[in-house]
Amino acid sequence: MQAENEFTDNPQPPGLSDPDQWVDLYGDYLFKFALIRLRDPAKAEDAVQETFLAALKGGKSFSGRSAEKSWLAGILKNKIFDYYRKASREISFTDLDFYAGEDSNCFVPDGPGKGGWIHELGPQEWASAGESLDNELFWKTYRDCAGKLPENIAAVFNLREVDGVASKDICVQLNISEGNLWVMLHRARMALRRCLETNWFAKR
Amino acid sequence: MKKLASIIRMLSPDCKEAVRLQSKALDRPLTGLQRIGLRIHLALCVWCTRYGKQIKFLRAAAKQGNRDLTANQSLSAEARERIKRRLQTGND
Repeated sequence: MQAENEFTDNPQPPGLSDPDQWVDLYGDYLFKFALIRLRDPAKAEDAVQETFLAALKGGKSFSGRSAEKSWLAGILKNKIFDYYRKASREISFTDLDFYAGEDSNCFVPDGPGKGGWIHELGPQEWASAGESLDNELFWKTYRDCAGKLPENIAAVFNLREVDGVASKDICVQLNISEGNLWVMLHRARMALRRCLETNWFAKR
Repeated sequence: MKKLASIIRMLSPDCKEAVRLQSKALDRPLTGLQRIGLRIHLALCVWCTRYGKQIKFLRAAAKQGNRDLTANQSLSAEARERIKRRLQTGND
């Protein structure tokens, strides 16, 4: 991969900081980064360790801490992609049956009004949604709702929404079709929206 | 008049399709025809209009949550030591 070439082509002694300091300087930051995406603390710890080890091999000099931090984060991102790719081969990654209900159970199945929202399930008005983003309790609810997403759906959602990776790139990296990607994203959004409405906005 | 109404009905999606289209639109532009049909539906459907706003909100929340979600999480002392040790042997 491109990133690999970037740091093995020109081995240099580490620049600003000593690798001994890396864990103290960047450990928490990288751990949080990995934890959001991998959701399991043990996996996140492994990813962080792998990142530091790969960085050790490469070695680069930097003009500042933030450049060093970004570089490490870049290595970690690739490690996480590797993890997703491995996972996509081992299980039925697209897992389209899961949450199939999200897609169809909210809508009138037949008869007049077919395809319309079932009355009780139609999206409600979310009063002052923006303010919720400043509320710690909201984030707890968000964490719980996001935690309910199955691993593969969460992975795709995070890549797209948190990292802003282009759909095409997600498809290439994870070897899934664009059609599958859109279905997964759609179901993630349907499920998250419903969970947040039920557990947060409906109670305001 | 009836014919026009049925043409309009044909052009515009139902709610199930409208939410799919709005989700898709977050990741890739819709075709002109899809956009027109969706607009017509949204003009008549408050639920789907809310849905569109809400998934945009989800996008903003996900981005921000990147910062807030793990605010209290950190590398355990044990993991910290373990990784430091591993880096030492990796360095030899």
